[in-house]
Amino acid sequence: MQLDTAFMWTTFLDVLHGIPTTLKLTIITLLLSSPIGFFMALSKSSGWGIARRIITVYVSFIRGTPVVLQILFLYSLLPTTLNYIIRNVLGLSFNIFRTDPIIYAYIVFTLNTTAVLSEVFRSALSTVPAGQLEAALSIGLNARQAYVRIILPQALTAALPNLCNASVNLLKSTSLAFMMTVKDVTAIAKIDASFGYNYLEAYLVIFFVYILLCSLVQLLFHLLEHALSSYKNTAAQRHEKNAASAYRRHMASAR
Amino acid sequence: MRPFHPAYILEVLPQLIPYLLVTAEMVIGTVFFGSLFGLLLAAAKIRKRKVGAALANLYIYLTRCVPSIVLLFIVYYGLPEFLLWFGININDASKGFFVITTFSILFSANMAEGFRSAYEAIDKGQREAAVSIGLTEFQAFRRIVLPQCIRVVIPNFTNSLISLMKEGSLAYTIGLIDIMGKGQLIIGQNQGSYSLEVYLALFLLYWALTILVEKGFGALELQLSRGRNGQVYTEVRKCS
Repeated sequence: MQLDTAFMWTTFLDVLHGIPTTLKLTIITLLLSSPIGFFMALSKSSGWGIARRIITVYVSFIRGTPVVLQILFLYSLLPTTLNYIIRNVLGLSFNIFRTDPIIYAYIVFTLNTTAVLSEVFRSALSTVPAGQLEAALSIGLNARQAYVRIILPQALTAALPNLCNASVNLLKSTSLAFMMTVKDVTAIAKIDASFGYNYLEAYLVIFFVYILLCSLVQLLFHLLEHALSSYKNTAAQRHEKNAASAYRRHMASAR
Repeated sequence: MRPFHPAYILEVLPQLIPYLLVTAEMVIGTVFFGSLFGLLLAAAKIRKRKVGAALANLYIYLTRCVPSIVLLFIVYYGLPEFLLWFGININDASKGFFVITTFSILFSANMAEGFRSAYEAIDKGQREAAVSIGLTEFQAFRRIVLPQCIRVVIPNFTNSLISLMKEGSLAYTIGLIDIMGKGQLIIGQNQGSYSLEVYLALFLLYWALTILVEKGFGALELQLSRGRNGQVYTEVRKCS
């Protein structure tokens, strides 16, 4: 086996230009799908019947079918449909076929990640005891304040490990964006490889870049987890713990 | 607006269904080899010898970072050349061989974590109690520890299996003709028309498979957890 190291180096340099696209796909998708996923999780736990059923079916469908199939389906459906809507329904002369195909990638990955995140948030919300909300309401916060200040910080901390997993999986699945002619890391390396049939080298370079990116994401989440869980060890909490154990000791001795 | 013929979905389904066999072969082969290798990895992690555990951890870390399609192509282009070094020629091996190799690598890393946590979830006292009442070491493992491990590992296994089925759809990119590959062939035969209908049919098949696996293993888990927390008694009471 003879690896063309010179080719691998030039490909690596080329591929670096694709990293912003890959990261952009990951980050914008996360930013779009996090709030939607969160509200889906909320309405699944408290919403009315019909909304809950629709969300359940949606999540089951997205999680039950391959991403590649979702990409192929939407990429063959969306451009012509959007074109039809723009031309005939809205009556504009805007040419959808000239826009950057990355918007289709955003749509597909957002639809996909929303379903994943709604499950992540649902399980995270269920880890916050109901008493937290009741206590927040009882001291006079309104529902929005209670969620933003009390429930959300705790749920987010609980969600971080799963959120990290979901982000890594999303990052990996953006490697399929080349199917929608998005010029990400994978696409650039494949184009480089096609000149001299150096596919093995190109894929090894992609592998290497993905190891770097994944490590970066995991490191970020590690730091975030550290920063966010700091609330677990505040002075007030330590005091509370001490008070509780003192109370328990007192009760024990009284008995 | 492209034309859409819902009736074609029903027409194309019978053409796709025979190829479920190829998908099933791929899944079963991967589960077999992937689980074996996953057990080895888990053993390396459990025994805590420094080198073995570090290698297992590195392997799991790297496979977690690689997109399946990238690994698939690395195996497809790289493995024949790599083995040629050792004088083994697999250039005429079937596509299924490369697919099963790739997904076994991914599946083993997933399962290694599952096996390890299942093993650690079982109280050491279980084995000790079994041995103390006169069971041999092997009997204690087979009758007491293993059944409990299996119950604990099922949710993890189900998740890995479902993601394997879904990721397995990428096998068509190296030319394996499973349901996905057949679907692509049908679209090709029709010069690209009917693609939406074929994709919808594939959606239905994959969705049904996932739900089937989820429900099946959910029922198995429930079956294996009977006897815990006095469930047997509640079941007996329900029956009477």
